[in-house]
Amino acid sequence: MSVAPRRNRACAKLLKDVNTILTIEGPTPSALHAIKLKLVALANKIDLFPMADFAMPVSQGRNHPLAIEDDDGMGLYLTINLPGKEAAPHDHGIWCVNAAISGAEQHDFFRRSDDGTQPGKAVIEKLGTVIVQPGHGMAMADHDIHSTAVLGNEPAVGLALYGYALARFPSVVWYHPEFASVRAGVSRRPSVTA
Amino acid sequence: MHHVTIANTGQTIPCAADQTILQGAVAAGIDYPYTCASGNCGACLSKLEGGNVSMLPRGDAALSPEQAANGQILACRAQPLGDVTVTWLGRGRK
Repeated sequence: MSVAPRRNRACAKLLKDVNTILTIEGPTPSALHAIKLKLVALANKIDLFPMADFAMPVSQGRNHPLAIEDDDGMGLYLTINLPGKEAAPHDHGIWCVNAAISGAEQHDFFRRSDDGTQPGKAVIEKLGTVIVQPGHGMAMADHDIHSTAVLGNEPAVGLALYGYALARFPSVVWYHPEFASVRAGVSRRPSVTA
Repeated sequence: MHHVTIANTGQTIPCAADQTILQGAVAAGIDYPYTCASGNCGACLSKLEGGNVSMLPRGDAALSPEQAANGQILACRAQPLGDVTVTWLGRGRK
């Protein structure tokens, strides 16, 4: 028997609980911590997320939508990243919370340390590392900077909750220590009309 | 050391086997389009006009199977297996 109805109910409950937190507090550090704990609790229910229900990546990384709110609401995804998959340091422009179902992913966190006066140039410095593995998660605020890399030889499967759905993401800003550069991606935000 | 010809500019640059085409291009001072430089966004989508490359891990959304079947690559993930010629297909926003 399919677990999809139970999974859908659990995901809807999570979004309801998260909305309650955000309504009271906004996306403060304490609110994001509380949201992370709720996402970790959901990811711990591994029977809700059988891999047979989620296609593996064609390449090395894939996001499966689990629950997407209307308009400017949140997006909850099941993410599968295979060994070797990585992402350079980047700032989503919107808060994000991750929790692991299986495997492990390293998240390094950074801060920008230049004065931002040279177009296309940036310097960042590493602040610390969080390993997202079963029973653990990470939370980051709107303009925190992180990089990711799958650890080990097992796919990293997890839940990712974003303040906006991926289809309505702001411009993601990418940093490249090797090139001392910064590049901004295309915004998917709806254009504002007068 | 291999040679990579960037058809857009007509320049031929050196590129080591363990370098990506993007790394070689940036090192040579070429304003190659890129954004994430890690196989996630597709801004460095390029056409492999000649030669062969190996591809580092990437996200599905950055390069579709159809694009790959049509000889398209991500310069930030492509390491030359010999001398190659590429054309970048878009301009990344800076």
